[in-house]
Amino acid sequence: MEDRLTKEEVLHVANLARIEIDDKEIEMYQVKLKKLLDQIELVTKIDDNDSDYLIAPWNNNSEFRKDEVGNMLNPKEVLQNAPRKSGNYIEVPVVISNE
Amino acid sequence: MSNYIPTIGIEVHVELKTNTKIFSSSENGYGQMANSLTNVIDLGYPGTLPTLNEQVIKTAIKAAHVLNCKIRKKQHFDRKNYFYPDNPKNYQITQARSPIGYDGYVEIEIGNNKKKIEIEEIHIEEDTCKSAHRGNVSLLDFNRAGVPLIEIVSRACIESSEEAKLYLEKLRELLYYSNISDCKIEEGSMRCDANVSIRKNIEDKLGTKCEIKNIGSISNVGLAIEKEIERQSKLLDKGETFKEQTRRFDDKQNDTVLMRVKETGNDYRYFPEPDIPYIELSDEIINSSIAELPMLPDERRKIYKERGVSDINITKLIANRSLSDYLNLFLDTKLNFKEASNLLLGDISAYLNKTEKDISNTHLTKEKFIDLVKKVEDNTLTSKNLKDILDDILESDKTIAEIIKEKGISNITDSNMLQDIVLKVILENPDSVKDYKAGKDRAIKYLMGQIMKETKGSANPKLVNQILINELNK
Repeated sequence: MEDRLTKEEVLHVANLARIEIDDKEIEMYQVKLKKLLDQIELVTKIDDNDSDYLIAPWNNNSEFRKDEVGNMLNPKEVLQNAPRKSGNYIEVPVVISNE
Repeated sequence: MSNYIPTIGIEVHVELKTNTKIFSSSENGYGQMANSLTNVIDLGYPGTLPTLNEQVIKTAIKAAHVLNCKIRKKQHFDRKNYFYPDNPKNYQITQARSPIGYDGYVEIEIGNNKKKIEIEEIHIEEDTCKSAHRGNVSLLDFNRAGVPLIEIVSRACIESSEEAKLYLEKLRELLYYSNISDCKIEEGSMRCDANVSIRKNIEDKLGTKCEIKNIGSISNVGLAIEKEIERQSKLLDKGETFKEQTRRFDDKQNDTVLMRVKETGNDYRYFPEPDIPYIELSDEIINSSIAELPMLPDERRKIYKERGVSDINITKLIANRSLSDYLNLFLDTKLNFKEASNLLLGDISAYLNKTEKDISNTHLTKEKFIDLVKKVEDNTLTSKNLKDILDDILESDKTIAEIIKEKGISNITDSNMLQDIVLKVILENPDSVKDYKAGKDRAIKYLMGQIMKETKGSANPKLVNQILINELNK
């Protein structure tokens, strides 16, 4: 088993998180991330065939909200924190989806 | 171009008809001032928590039921992670692992055959904000952020553009009639993506699939699929291969255009949404949601057929839900549905179109409509009479009898008077009489027309017919 991730794998993760990292950091994460993944690998080895898919350690259920309109912000308030606006719209640099 | 076997799967996003958004109490509305229907939850502010709208669950249960799906009783939501300005939380809340409905189907009629289009799953998710691209900027409107959606995923069992269109039409009809969504493709409340691949032989493995996104109408889905099959066939004919890709349909070019090639699989890093606990559906919520469903189109068709409505009128009634709902008010009466549907789809529809009214906004009470149908049935009112007084019937509180009296509408039922007119017409039209004696039935129609003209449409047609045949046979 390799003791480190490839440089490409680290860069892929960095890209998903939208962070920039330099060569020194890449090298560090190649090792650190690999250690982390190995730990998680242990968890996946637990035999859980006889239990349901668990999303949380508790079992309380969601309450529902009644379908009644409540308070809303006015457009002025919405735009207050927007770095750029155009009319009532929030303006951002154009992004072509890469999903 | 050689023949290939197409395999098509369709994903449909439908906005649910609720008062508020899925995770916040902001109004779920369309066509209003930009960024006027939001709060901090829709805008993805830190520290806010989602609260699940009960009506979304109930509406999704209805959708699962009408699409013949099994309903999952214990569910949870997941986060789909991605960075894009349409979703400032950087994740969309969706159901990746526990869709509310699964293993369903919609039955379509293709030619004389019935086919079940299988539905793999229906899951609930939130819509994103709407972005409009203008040159080098995008403009964001968060009114749509958090609008509840269901995504309906078919299995790849659709074999032609025709089947795809029939499936979507049936889906739209069912969801619309169930009050699940208004299904307006042009307003984006129903959005269709198609996955298309082709192969030479049925035993070959599936070909490379291309996804065509956000097609603007059902007929364009058909066109887009045909164009895509054609494009892929030409490539395969030339021995070329292509990569999985996302395309869109350009209706000006009447062809699909490349958006992006999928180099690697998506990396959404789904994980359970920690802010929303399990959703456990009780029998009570499932049963009460299903009980709220109105009568669905296929049942309406069956009843109308049994009550003598013509096929063409059935199609027209189903296409006009408010008239169908109106007619259904009389299900427990003995009303003549055939005559009633002719009236509703004929003169009454003409009036409603002219005045841009809905039938519920007229003065046509149940009693009045029953009376009207009866009077047309027994020829108390001729079609000419009806045209003269229909506006009054629909616009005033007066009874039909009162209107007839007031307008001095007389329907000539005096047989002596009619006899004179019939004789006059016979004498003036010797050729038609000859035709009739020679066995030409349409001569009768012509003579009837002449008599109605003489009486300015006020003669009782049944009576005229009787007298005319009598006289001709003398």
